[in-house]
Amino acid sequence: MGLKDAQKGPVMPAIHLVKLEKLFDWGRKNSIWPLPWALACCGIEMMATYASRFDLDRFGILGGFPSPRQCDAIVIAGTVTKKIVPVIKRLYQQMPEPKYIIAMGNCANSGGIFYYDSYNVVKGVDTVIPVDVYIPGCPPRPEALVEGFLKLQEKILGESAAEK
Amino acid sequence: MNERAICVRIEDLKLTLEHLHSEGYNYFSFVTAVDYPDHFLLVYGLVNTGKHEITFIETPLSKDKPVAPSSTGIWKGADWHEREVYDLFGITFEGHPDMRRMFLPEEFEGHPLRKDFQSDEVEKKPEDFY
Amino acid sequence: MSLALEVTLRAIIAVVLGFSFVGLALVVLNVVERKLGGRFQSRYGPLHVGWHGSLQTIADLLKILQKELIIPAGADPVLFRLAPYLSLVPAITIFLAVPISENIVALESNLSLLIVLFLPAVSVFGILTAGWASNSKYSLIASLRSAGQMFAYEIPRTLSALSVVMLAGSLSLTEIVKNQQSIWFLVVQPIAFLIFFFTSLAEANRVPFDLTWAESELVSGFFTEYTGMRWAMFFLAEYGALIGSCFLTVLLFMGGWLGPFLPPVVWLLIKVSVLVLLSLWFRWTWPRFRIDQWLNFSWKFLVPLSIINLLVTGTLMIGLRVGV
Repeated sequence: MGLKDAQKGPVMPAIHLVKLEKLFDWGRKNSIWPLPWALACCGIEMMATYASRFDLDRFGILGGFPSPRQCDAIVIAGTVTKKIVPVIKRLYQQMPEPKYIIAMGNCANSGGIFYYDSYNVVKGVDTVIPVDVYIPGCPPRPEALVEGFLKLQEKILGESAAEK
Repeated sequence: MNERAICVRIEDLKLTLEHLHSEGYNYFSFVTAVDYPDHFLLVYGLVNTGKHEITFIETPLSKDKPVAPSSTGIWKGADWHEREVYDLFGITFEGHPDMRRMFLPEEFEGHPLRKDFQSDEVEKKPEDFY
Repeated sequence: MSLALEVTLRAIIAVVLGFSFVGLALVVLNVVERKLGGRFQSRYGPLHVGWHGSLQTIADLLKILQKELIIPAGADPVLFRLAPYLSLVPAITIFLAVPISENIVALESNLSLLIVLFLPAVSVFGILTAGWASNSKYSLIASLRSAGQMFAYEIPRTLSALSVVMLAGSLSLTEIVKNQQSIWFLVVQPIAFLIFFFTSLAEANRVPFDLTWAESELVSGFFTEYTGMRWAMFFLAEYGALIGSCFLTVLLFMGGWLGPFLPPVVWLLIKVSVLVLLSLWFRWTWPRFRIDQWLNFSWKFLVPLSIINLLVTGTLMIGLRVGV
């Protein structure tokens, strides 16, 4: 990305480079805007987590933007069927970098209870798009979803900005 | 809810449906199918909301000609139910405006709810191996 | 210094100050809005970013800086890049003509009201361009709705401002505020105040008038296809329009900077903050209108009402020999 290249110019001392990266990481971690994408029952838990009791806005996670162009994460909440795979791919391509995917619930992780004897369920959304955080549960409790987001924040802090 | 069930031949199905509609059966509740070894059985559920009655209609269909008349001319709500039956069983409905798959992707081959449906992608449960 | 140089310098300083003011206001206002909205909904707003969430918008802006700038395949290359600026620039440049105090104004003019009222109309071009250049049906419909809404609201807004102009006898904002020393125009023209305030909210696309990006209908409205910094410019333009409208309402109806003990700038900021908080309150409390309901309301009710208001004001002024 152009921004990163500009930082690595010969004028900038190395210590400033580290601090700027940390600042950008801090900004990215504290302001995750997931695309509200509820497919099935896990979607209800996701909506419950956005609501007043388990408020996700505390962490800066604003769920309000329905357009993938303005979001940096998708929470795949629910069962992924073969019919919706092209849609997932298109949404993933429409999102601008840096982007993160959270697979919420057993169905998105691996096919869940539909792993056996199912002709239409994709066995885990990671066969379609790369996933960053897996949240097990059927459905995971809101506290589990919050922990998933916190793990994503840890992951964002941990990776270097040049990788993304 | 009063219930009754009748069994009709495939040739009399359209007449029966039209007759029931004129009798006041205004709500098309569902249509589904059963796969028996030698025939299909189409099951309709029609509701008379005025009199709180439901009538089930069973129609056997032969396996080499799984075609039935569409009820979309009588009840608009039959549209998606018939698409579902087509998608999962392969029973086509004549006169349906938009006969295509509903839940499965368009390029899917086969009709899953038939008993003879085989697919490599369907993982067998571990118990099935013993 | 020659006049041209002086005017240019003043304009540059004013634009820089205006931009930083709007930027600062955006940072503060966004946090206030989210925390206030949270409290209205029995929850905390942003809590962990900075002291009680105060650095939230800074984190948001830092993240937006790092976003990839995507241009959709079918989009018009020039217009797509141009649209955010078309929307942002009018929202900032109205601060050129807005007086902060009796003698502090960047662009001294007898017609400052005209400038401030009609520059935001240019931002309609930004919206239309954005919707058209995005090559997406949702954006197009949303931008057309937005343009229709804005046209519908220019007329009652201008007419209600016109009744204030008649009372004050001048188009200069400084003069209008000076004429409110005896009594605020809010008291004399309550209907005009209500019409002006609400149509200004409609111009700024705030709830209950944000039908241009009704989420379940239109994805995200005319900026569906904008990512990163370009989207942030639309965001800034929206808040700029909101603050500009509140400034204008205060100057026209609520006595501007007039007030007993505190310095005038402080009074102005207090009054503007009251109006801004009021509009935030509306945003988190009211459901939004449907486009046809609202356009009907405007053309069939607000326009005749503002015309009648104008006529009554004029008649009473001539009858009571006030100000003419």
